[in-house]
Amino acid sequence: MPPILEARSLTKRYHDFTLREISLEVPCGCIVGFFGPIGAGKTTLMKLLAHQVPASSGTVRVFGLGYDEREKEIKDRIGYVPQEPSFYSDRSVGFNARFAAPFFERWDGGAFYRLLDEFKISREKTIRHLSRGQKTLLSIALALSHEADLLILDEPTAGLDIVLRRTILDRLRQFVAGGERTVVVSSHITDGLEEIAEYVNFLDNGELVLQAEKDELLARWKRIHFKEGALNPALVRQFADVREQPFGNSGLTRDFSAIREQLSAGIASGDVKVENARLDDILIAMLKGE
Amino acid sequence: MFLALSPSHPDPMYKQLTDQLKHAIASGDIKANEKLPSVRELSEALKISAITIKRAYLDLENEGYIFTRAGMGSFVSEVDLENLRKEKLAEFRTELARILGTGKKFGISADDVVRLIRQIKED
Repeated sequence: MPPILEARSLTKRYHDFTLREISLEVPCGCIVGFFGPIGAGKTTLMKLLAHQVPASSGTVRVFGLGYDEREKEIKDRIGYVPQEPSFYSDRSVGFNARFAAPFFERWDGGAFYRLLDEFKISREKTIRHLSRGQKTLLSIALALSHEADLLILDEPTAGLDIVLRRTILDRLRQFVAGGERTVVVSSHITDGLEEIAEYVNFLDNGELVLQAEKDELLARWKRIHFKEGALNPALVRQFADVREQPFGNSGLTRDFSAIREQLSAGIASGDVKVENARLDDILIAMLKGE
Repeated sequence: MFLALSPSHPDPMYKQLTDQLKHAIASGDIKANEKLPSVRELSEALKISAITIKRAYLDLENEGYIFTRAGMGSFVSEVDLENLRKEKLAEFRTELARILGTGKKFGISADDVVRLIRQIKED
C-alpha cells in the first residue's frame, strides 16, 4: 500500500533554526507520534506536513498528491490542529464554526455539534472565554467534522487535565480504527500520546534521529536490573543509562534478544530482573548518544 | 541485598518490597538480628517514598519477619523459615495451576511438566 504521507529531504530554514532533511513515510491506518525536547522542530515539522508554511526545500506528498498542484484537494481531506488554534476571539463558537465550514467540501455540521456537546462546549460561548484546553478541543471538533482522512495535530494534549486528555486519546484511537484513516501527532513523551502511537519518531535539534515501530522498539530496549557482580562487566559496559545503587544496579540494553542467553542464569537465580524500558528513558539515552 | 522495584509490575510497590525482603531473609542475604537499611536510606536508593517503605516494614513486622527498636531501626527476627516456606509453597501452587492450565490447552500433561522439572533440575 502506498504511504498516506511522504516527505523527501524536507528542509526548513529559519534564521536561528533549521529543520534538516526529513524523509519519512506514514502508512495508512495508524497513529504516528513525533517526540522530542522543546525546540527540536516538532511544530515546524507539523506545519510543513500540513502545508501551513512553505518548505525551503524537499517535498511532501499526501494521499499521493503534491501540495503544488492539488493543495485544495489535500487540505479538504486533512484535519490540522495547531498548537495554538486561532479563532475570531470576540465571536462565538458557533460563529467561528459557520465561518470555517465553507472551506470544506464535506462539512458535517451535525457531527460538529455532537462533538461540541460531548466536549461540553457551548456554541454560544465567546472564544476568549474558553480555556486553552477548550480551544484545542474546539479545533479538534472542527478537524473531525469534515470527513478528513488524515489528522495532523501539534501537541494536542499539552497542558490538559487527565480527563480531557483521555477524551482526546480515545477520539484519536477511534478515528484510526478500521484502518482507513491516519493520525500524525507531535507531543512530549508523558503527555499520553506515547501510549497510543504505533510508530514513534524522535526529533532532536532539527533532525529525525529515530523512526521505529513502537512495539519493536520496546521489544529491543529493556531495563536490566542486576545484583552487583551478577553480570559480566563487559556486558554491563554495553548498557546505556547505567544506574548504580546500594541495592542493585540497572542499565538499558538496546538489543535484548542478543543478550537474553547471557541473562538466563541470573534470571533463574533471581539476581537479574528484566523490565520494559520507558520511552523517555530510551529517548534520553539516544539523545546522549550513549 | 538486591532490590529491584518496578512501577509497571502488577503488585503495588510496598508488596514488591515485602516480597523481595522476604526473599533476602529466606536466602540468608540478611540474617537474624541484622539491621535493615533505614527507611530514609531505602527511600533514597530506590527513589520511592518513605511512606511506601514504612508500609512494607510495618507489614513485615506484623507478619513477624522483622522487629523495630525505637531509635535504633528495624532488625530481622529469628524467623521460622518454615513459615516462609509454606507461604512460597502456596504461591507455587497457584503458579503451577496456571502452568498446568496453559499446558492443557496445548496437550501438555501434568506428567510432561513433572518430566520437565526433573530435566531442569539435572541441568
